[in-house]
Amino acid sequence: MAVAGYHGRVLEVDLSSGDIRVRPLQAEDVLLYLGGRGLGTKLLYDRIDPTVDPLGPDNVIVIATSPLIGSQAPTAARGHMVYKSPLTGYIGTSNSGGAWAYGFKATGYDALAIRGRAPHPVFIDITPEKVEIRDAGHLWGKNTHETTDILTAESAPGNPCRALVIGPAGENLVRYAAVANERNRVYGRCGPGAVFGSKRLKAIRVRGKEKITIADEARYRAGLDQALYLMKQAPITKRLLRELGTSGLILLINLINMLPHRNFQDVEHDEEKLERVSGEYIARNYLEKAGSCYLCPIGCQRHTAVKGADGSVRRGEGPEYETAVLMGPVCDIYDMDAIIRANYLANELGLDTISFGGTVACVMELYERGYLTPEQTGGLELRFGRADLLEKLVELTAHRQGIGDLLAEGSYRLAERCGHPERAMHVKKLEIPGYDPRASYAQALGYMTSPTGACHLRGGYAVSLAFFGGTREIPRFSLLQSPIAIRNMQNTGILQDSLGICRFTGFAFSVDPWARIVSGLTGQDFSTARLEEIANRIASLERLFNLEAGLNPEEEDLLPARFAEVPIMAEGKPRAVTLESQLQMRRDYYRARGWNDDGRPGQEFLRHMKIQRRNNRI
Amino acid sequence: MATHKWQTSEEIFRLFRSIGRASLLYDIQDSHSGNMAMRWRNQAGEEIVVITATGSQKGDLEPNHLCYLSPAETDFGYYKASSETDIHVRILSLPGAQASMHAHVKELVMATLDDQPGPKTPPPFVPVDPLAFYHLGPEIPVDWFAVPSGSPEMAKTIPARLAEHPLTIIYGHGAMTRGRTLKEAFYHLCLANNAGYIVRLIERQITPRNVDSGSKDDASEVLKARRQAFLQELRTKIKAAPERHFHFKPPAYNIEIDGRCDFPDEDEILKEFRKAGNRIFESRLSPFHTGSMSVRGVDYLLYAPQASRPYEVGGPLLRLPLAPAPGDDRELELHKKIYAESDFQTVMHCYLPEAEAHAHYIYPGEDRPLDRIVPVDAEGSFLYLAIPVTGPDVSDEELIRLLHDYKLVVVRGGGVWAVGSQSLSEVLHHPSSLREICLYRIAASERGLDLRRMEPEKASRW
Repeated sequence: MAVAGYHGRVLEVDLSSGDIRVRPLQAEDVLLYLGGRGLGTKLLYDRIDPTVDPLGPDNVIVIATSPLIGSQAPTAARGHMVYKSPLTGYIGTSNSGGAWAYGFKATGYDALAIRGRAPHPVFIDITPEKVEIRDAGHLWGKNTHETTDILTAESAPGNPCRALVIGPAGENLVRYAAVANERNRVYGRCGPGAVFGSKRLKAIRVRGKEKITIADEARYRAGLDQALYLMKQAPITKRLLRELGTSGLILLINLINMLPHRNFQDVEHDEEKLERVSGEYIARNYLEKAGSCYLCPIGCQRHTAVKGADGSVRRGEGPEYETAVLMGPVCDIYDMDAIIRANYLANELGLDTISFGGTVACVMELYERGYLTPEQTGGLELRFGRADLLEKLVELTAHRQGIGDLLAEGSYRLAERCGHPERAMHVKKLEIPGYDPRASYAQALGYMTSPTGACHLRGGYAVSLAFFGGTREIPRFSLLQSPIAIRNMQNTGILQDSLGICRFTGFAFSVDPWARIVSGLTGQDFSTARLEEIANRIASLERLFNLEAGLNPEEEDLLPARFAEVPIMAEGKPRAVTLESQLQMRRDYYRARGWNDDGRPGQEFLRHMKIQRRNNRI
Repeated sequence: MATHKWQTSEEIFRLFRSIGRASLLYDIQDSHSGNMAMRWRNQAGEEIVVITATGSQKGDLEPNHLCYLSPAETDFGYYKASSETDIHVRILSLPGAQASMHAHVKELVMATLDDQPGPKTPPPFVPVDPLAFYHLGPEIPVDWFAVPSGSPEMAKTIPARLAEHPLTIIYGHGAMTRGRTLKEAFYHLCLANNAGYIVRLIERQITPRNVDSGSKDDASEVLKARRQAFLQELRTKIKAAPERHFHFKPPAYNIEIDGRCDFPDEDEILKEFRKAGNRIFESRLSPFHTGSMSVRGVDYLLYAPQASRPYEVGGPLLRLPLAPAPGDDRELELHKKIYAESDFQTVMHCYLPEAEAHAHYIYPGEDRPLDRIVPVDAEGSFLYLAIPVTGPDVSDEELIRLLHDYKLVVVRGGGVWAVGSQSLSEVLHHPSSLREICLYRIAASERGLDLRRMEPEKASRW
C-alpha cells in the first residue's frame, strides 16, 4: 500500500508455533478504519472467531497505531489494544498514552497481532531489523516497574527501548489485569493483562527509528498550527489538567450529584471528607510535579509522593479521578494516603483500578448485607470505609490469594457466586466508572451501549456534555436528545482512539483540526464527513463482533436495576433511569446507529457500511 | 352607538405588552413612540378596535394603556387613544387586516433619507435582502408628508398604500404596516428595519479606500456617488432576476402554527429552544420570527420555524418526521437534508444582517465579493480559521460539505447556516460570533484600515 503516514506492514506473531511474519497492511483497511481502535478492530475481526475462549490460545491481541503516530501532532502517541475480553466476553479495547506506541511505530510496523500460547514465559523483542520471541523466565513474577527497568536498561542514547509489560495480576489471570508502559501508563480496562498472561507473554519491547512520510506538508502544518493554537487557549488543556489533574473533577462532579457513594447506593458525601480526596487536596499535599505523555502539551500526570505505613516516603503516579473515586468514595473511603498507596501498588502489580475499586465496593456491600461471610473473606471485616484494607486487597487480588481469588473475577462473577448478582454495578460485566448514570441520561445510555460495557470513554464522556461542555452542554435529563448526543460523543471518542490522540484534546476542539492534519499527512480525503462515516463503521463492526460473541442486546444493553429503582436527588428532584426510559433511549440509539430495533445491524446496513462478514478468517 | 364598555382582556393585554417590549428591545421605538392596534371581537360579540394610548410607554404598557374603540364612530375611547388612531382604524378596515402597527424603524428611515428639499417624491426603497424583498415587496413605497404624524393627509395616503403593500414608509418618521395578527405586523416592521440596516452596512463598507476619488474637495461626492452606484447596480440585478441573487424565497409568515408546541412535557429542551430563540432575537441575529433552528431526534426533528423569538412572545415548536415530506418548505427541507447527510444534532439558520451585508464586500482592487470571512479580532480568530461565503447558487451538497468542514457558512442572499454536534447552545454560538466578526471587519473597513493586512497570515493556510 502507498498511503503516507503508514509503514504498510502488520507484524503477526504466533506464540504457539513461534511463527513470525509480516503481512502488508491493506489500503482499503486504513481508508475504511483509519488506525488505532478502528484498524485494530478490523484486524481482530479478520483473525478471530468471536466465540473463542478469551483466555485460550485462539484469542488474538491486536495493537494498532494510527497514521498520526510518528508525526508531531499533539498527544499523538497513544496506542490501542483490541482483543476479546476475559472480563466481559465481548470486545476488549484499551488505550494508553506513554511512549510505547510511538516506539513501536518507529520499528516500522503499523500493527501487531499476537495469537497462540507460548510454552513458557516469553517477551517479544522488536526492532526494524529483527523480531524475536525471547525467554522471559527471569521476568516472570516481577512487577511492572521491575520488568520495565530490566527491559529498558539496554537503551542506547537517542534510541531508547520501550517496554509494554504485565505484572503478577496478568500472570495470575486476574480478569481485569492491565498492561503498562512507561511504568505507570496503563492499558487498563477489560483485562488485556490477563490475555497477555494467558499467552505467557510478559512483555513487548520495541526500539527503532523508522520515520513516516507526510504527503502534504502545508496542509498537515495548517491543521497542526490550528490544533496547537486552540490547545493553548482552552483553560482545561492549558491549565486545569496540569494543575489539578483529572482528580480536579471530584468536587465538580459532586456538585452535580453525580459522584457515586457506597457502591452506587447514593451520591451523598460529607463535603469535609470529600475535600480530602479532591484534586486540589492532592495538589497541595502530594503532588511533586506534573508530567506528560510523549508529545503532549497538557501534562495531566500526577507524580506524587506519600508516606508508607512504615513512615518511608514512596513515590509514584496518581491517583487519577477514576482511581480516587472508585477506591475512595465508592468504597466510602476518604483517606488519600491509603488510596495513593493502593494506587501505586495496583500500578506495580498491574490492575485496572476502576474494576478493582468497583469490585471491592461490591464486596463491601455484599459483606454488610450478610451475603458474604467472614469465613469467605478469610476473616477480613470487609465493611465500607476500611481504608486500612485497600493495599492488602490489591495484593491478595493480584496474586489470587484468599478473598483475592474472588475479587480477581470482577464484581459480576463475584456477586453471582454469592447469589446476588444485582449488587454488582456493571454493564456487560464491566464495572461502572465514577459517574452515577442517574445524574445524566446521556451518560446512562453511554454505559448501556458502550461496546466494552460500562466505560465512560468508549461509551461517550457525557459528563462534559451535561455540565462543563461549554457551548456543547445538553439537557441532563432529556430522553429525546440523549441518543444522538451520546452517539456523536461515542463517535468522537472512536475517532480519537483511531487517531491515537488523547481524549483531553476534545476539551479544546472537536474533530475538525484532526481532519486537516490527517488529510494533510496521508494525502487522503479524511474530511470530517468521512471521519463520521468511519466512526459509524467502527461502532458497527464492534457491535458485530459482540453479537457474534453471543451478546444479547435485549438483556445486556441495560443498567443494573438499582439505577432504575432507587432514585438519587439531582437538580432538586428524585432521579432514576426507569426501565421504560432506558428502553426508549436504547431503541432510539439503535436507530441513530442505523441498526435494527433489536440492536442488530441488518445485512443491507452492513453492505452500505462496507462491512464484510468474513468466513475466510486469517 | 356601540354598547361596549371600557374593558380589559388579560390575553390582549399580554399580547400588546409583549410586542411592545419586543419593539423596544429591537430598537424600533423610542420610549413613548409608535402604536399598535388590532380588531377584536369582545365577549358581547361586538367588533371593536384595541389600540395603545397616546404617549404610553410601549416597553412597559399598563392595562389602562389599551383603548377599546368603536371602529365605526367616535366614542369616549378616542380621548385617550393614539394620535394616529384614524390611520389605524382605516387600515383595519382593509380586507384581511386584523392588526396594524407603526414604529420608528430607524435603520430604514436613515437608509431612505436624502438631502433634497421638500416637498418631494422619494423613490421607493428596494431591499437587497431576501426577507424584505420577498415579504415586503421589491419596492416599498416612501411618502413625504408636510405633517408627518397623525395628519389627515396620512390617514388618506397610508391605508391606500397598505391596500397594495404590506408596509409603507413615512419619510423621515417611520413605517406603518398591517398584519393578519399583531405578531405579523411586528414581523413586517422588523424586516423593514433589518432591510434598512443591511443597506446602510453595505454603504459603510464602501470607503475612500474603495474609491478612486480625484481631488480631496470632491471626495465626499465621489464616495456618495460610488455608494449609490453600487447599490443601484445591485438593486437592478436583483430586481431583474431575484432567484439568481437569493438562495431561496424564505417561507411565508405562517400564522396557522402560532402558539403550537408539539413537545410540551420536555421541559429541558423547551428551555433550550426558548433561550436560543430569545438570544437570536435580542442579539439581532435574525429579525423577529425569521430563521429556523432544530434539534434532531432519531426519526424526527424538533423544529422551530420562526427561530427569532423573545421570551414573552415565543413561537411555534414542532415535532416533525425526519423523512422528507411533500409539504416541506425549502428551509425545512434543508434542515432535513443536512441531517440526512451528517451526524449533526443541531442546525440553525439565521438572516444575520451583518453577514448579509459583509458578504457583498469587495476588497480594494478586486472585482468580486469575498468568498471567505477571516476574523481580524482575537475571539473570532480563536473560534474560526475562516468562514466560507458562498454565492446564492450554492448546491445543497456543497453547502453541507462546507458545514462539515467549517460548521458555519454564509450564503450571500441566503443567511447563515450553522451546525452543532450536540446542543442548541453550540450552534447558536456560531451566528452570534459571526456577528461580532463582521462588525469588527466592517468597522475596520469603515475606518479605512486594510483588512488584508489585518488578517492573520496563517489564516491563508487554514
